[in-house]
Amino acid sequence: MSNTESEQSMTDTAVRTDGGTETKQSLRQRVLSNPEPAAIWLAGLALLVAVELGRFVDWALTIGGGIKFILDGIVATPTWVGSNFEGTLGFVAGAVASDITSLLLLFIVAVFLRAYLPFHPDEKLGLDLSRSRHLWFERGFVTAVLAAVVSVLVFTPIGAALKNEVGFYVGILDSLADTQTLLSRETIPNHGYQTASGSWEGTFLGLSARSAWLVRFTMVWVYAAVVMSWLWRGYNVYREHYRRMDWTPRDDVIDRLRSHNWGRFGLVVVIGFIVLALFAPVIATYPIQENVYEPYSQDSEFKYFNEEAGEVQTALHGDANINSRSQGAGSQNVGINQYDDYGRYAPLGTTTSGEDLMTHIAYGAQTSLSIGLIALFLALGIAMLLSLASAYYGGIIDLMAIIGTDTIISIPIFVLVLMMSVVFQQGDVWIAEPMDGGLLLALIFAFAYMPGMWRSIRGPSLQVAEEEWVDAAKSYGQTPLAIMRKHMAPYVMSYLIIYGSLLVGGMIIVTSALSFLGYGVSEPTPEWGRLIASGRNAVSTQSWHVSTVSGAMIAIVVTGFNALGDGIRDAIDPQAEANAGGSGGGA
Amino acid sequence: MSRWRYLAQRIAMSVPVVFSVITFLFLVLRLGPLDPIAARLGQNAQGANVQRLREEIGLDDPLWEQFADYLVETVTFSGESWVVRNGTDVSDMLLEVAGPTIWLGVWAIVLPLFIGLPLGFYAGLHPNSASDIMANVTGIIWRSMPNFWLAVLALAFLRSTGNGSGPFGFDWYTFGPTTQSAVGTPNLDFATIGDVFGAPMLTGMDWSAFFVDVKLILPAAIILGSSSMAAELRLGRTAVLENVNSNYVETAKAKGLKGRTIVWKHVFRNALIPLVPIVTNEAFILIGGSVIMEQIFNINGLGRMYFRAIQTADVPLAGSIVFLFTVIIIFLNILQDILYTIIDPRVGYDQ
Repeated sequence: MSNTESEQSMTDTAVRTDGGTETKQSLRQRVLSNPEPAAIWLAGLALLVAVELGRFVDWALTIGGGIKFILDGIVATPTWVGSNFEGTLGFVAGAVASDITSLLLLFIVAVFLRAYLPFHPDEKLGLDLSRSRHLWFERGFVTAVLAAVVSVLVFTPIGAALKNEVGFYVGILDSLADTQTLLSRETIPNHGYQTASGSWEGTFLGLSARSAWLVRFTMVWVYAAVVMSWLWRGYNVYREHYRRMDWTPRDDVIDRLRSHNWGRFGLVVVIGFIVLALFAPVIATYPIQENVYEPYSQDSEFKYFNEEAGEVQTALHGDANINSRSQGAGSQNVGINQYDDYGRYAPLGTTTSGEDLMTHIAYGAQTSLSIGLIALFLALGIAMLLSLASAYYGGIIDLMAIIGTDTIISIPIFVLVLMMSVVFQQGDVWIAEPMDGGLLLALIFAFAYMPGMWRSIRGPSLQVAEEEWVDAAKSYGQTPLAIMRKHMAPYVMSYLIIYGSLLVGGMIIVTSALSFLGYGVSEPTPEWGRLIASGRNAVSTQSWHVSTVSGAMIAIVVTGFNALGDGIRDAIDPQAEANAGGSGGGA
Repeated sequence: MSRWRYLAQRIAMSVPVVFSVITFLFLVLRLGPLDPIAARLGQNAQGANVQRLREEIGLDDPLWEQFADYLVETVTFSGESWVVRNGTDVSDMLLEVAGPTIWLGVWAIVLPLFIGLPLGFYAGLHPNSASDIMANVTGIIWRSMPNFWLAVLALAFLRSTGNGSGPFGFDWYTFGPTTQSAVGTPNLDFATIGDVFGAPMLTGMDWSAFFVDVKLILPAAIILGSSSMAAELRLGRTAVLENVNSNYVETAKAKGLKGRTIVWKHVFRNALIPLVPIVTNEAFILIGGSVIMEQIFNINGLGRMYFRAIQTADVPLAGSIVFLFTVIIIFLNILQDILYTIIDPRVGYDQ
């Protein structure tokens, strides 16, 4: 370490070892001193959120549900470990093992929480500890506090009371999520029936089912466009009125991305894909519960005008689906932009089992997006930690990481993913249940793609570990974790973003390929690859739409992700080499 | 460091990787949730049958013994299939199906090379012309299309051309050599190998059988190679663009060389250097893609057998095929590094 220089320059200035607050005015003060632009923007945002409040609350609840699922899994580990030990070593060993596991988990939490400790316990106690002892003492202290809190919650009625309290607030949110929003099936209904006189009953403003759906469909995109432009405006307001710096390097990145046509095209496609996924319940022609999941339940009954009988009758979606199948030559077909015999409008036609294709496509986007995002963030997190750790410590950890990742990289990715997916699905593991295998697939992707990601940032991490500012941070005695987070991560992050957006495209293709083969995401969760598989024998017939539309969707979305990746790469690093690969239709 | 020492070092470094791949396979396939007993005897099998099978497979042995057996079995390809063809040697089965996969792989590498590269060079020599933009855009979109979807579409089209009902009276079945089906496994018995002075040599070629085999593999190979074709197109284009504006081309022009000589003797050769990793990366894609392509085009190759093996919980067979794929990949990676040092002497051995 060459720290003579840095030591000299730092002796007289205050050393901040934590995240710290701004030395000048905080953002809050800056807003308060000039509230007008911020107020206008926030009012607009509030209006935009208010018309769709139910949906936003619903998304928040979904994310909360996901987090709860993960937490439940983590909380269950001590018991699981304990029961494993209990089976072989007896009750006492089991109890000890589960306690040790709980303490370990709490300790991991404590390591992260330590930095936010408002006081130093060893100083209060008057202990004089060396720096590393001080750290461990504080971590131990936080662990002990956490353990005390947890046992109070578990062993006294306080825990149950708290649970009730939380349940109460979640209940409020639930009822909020059920409120009607501007863009919803209730506001703009599209499923009605045409009477003998030709007028429509039960649809929006008495429009035809087609027009009513189109109105709702258009409204979604208008709303999304308005929200996006309002967010962009918000960034500009911030930049103009509240940011302390007139210029930051990020401005240049954004400008370059804005002038990059190809990247802009990618951005539009990716945003469109996300909107399609998020607004799937609105874009879908019929509620998925009625049309796909439970077509024979009592709720799935609808009215239609029977032309032969000349009167309005009721039918179940399930029965109607059987008569609306698109199975190609010689048999029935409900093509793009057609009505079926029950007066149901199918914007993209129906699937081979008679369900609405638009509903499948919209919810299929949701499936792909959730798998891609979960896998991406997991892989990003692990790759980031691993790369920073191996770059910081080097030596044996680096070597182990190389061999470990080489193992995974040397197995062709599709072969690996197929193997793990089949093994876990046939083994009936509980993790294969959520999303009909979607969660399992996301975990497998995280595992399979992480090494490649790590490789792509290992170089940059090694480079940044050699930088003087890392040496300087070490010499002040910052913890390795803090150095990695504050001084190394921002630099490595840009590489991860580029690689990540290229990766999502690959994941979408592999997901659909697996589902095409009958693994991956299984019935009834909608998935694009399965649509291609189901329509493959009807491609050259009148029912060509089933395979073609879903395949085209995959191609467009993957092109979009690749284009966005190219755009971001050129924006962040204009000198980057043009062979970063991208996700080919490899699978 | 000499080239040989570098080679030895690379091979030595791949040994722990091979070992850990086998360990990983053991963990997933043998210790994972797969139930080979249920796969062979049905879900409800019980009693003496199960016990006998457990002993036969060795499920009751100590774990380290099972692992040691598995290690030896995998490295020497001496396992026996459990389900797909009960009791047959894995090595025999692999040899039997390797032919069609290699046939597919060769064409899937060669075809894109001969289509993608020339297109890319052409686009690079005429930058920003309409055809350049066309080639670029098609390349990018082509790259994003899922192979299995293209295969489904292509197959539907080829099948629909029966009896000359395709566009312009095109009929795939009678196009070139007549075939009964658009899909199937190539026989690969076009070459007669005879003894010439004690060594096996190619003595005769059955050209019509050869063309039938080519025709059977052609659609699958083109689609399998399509994503690499797009990559090669892009690569050819950038390589030419970079080299055309370089100083040595100026020098060659000043020397009075003809345009064609400059292109072939200088630009082309330098553009080939970055091609090496693309071709080896292709092998990577090809192996994964062959599983799906062989499934769709009914080609009895390694990929299809792998799919069947993993589906039926045939642990030794599936493990051996994954191991074979892995060894090929590791070998190709080493080959790539060696090739690099030969083609471009500026690349050092140190990194």
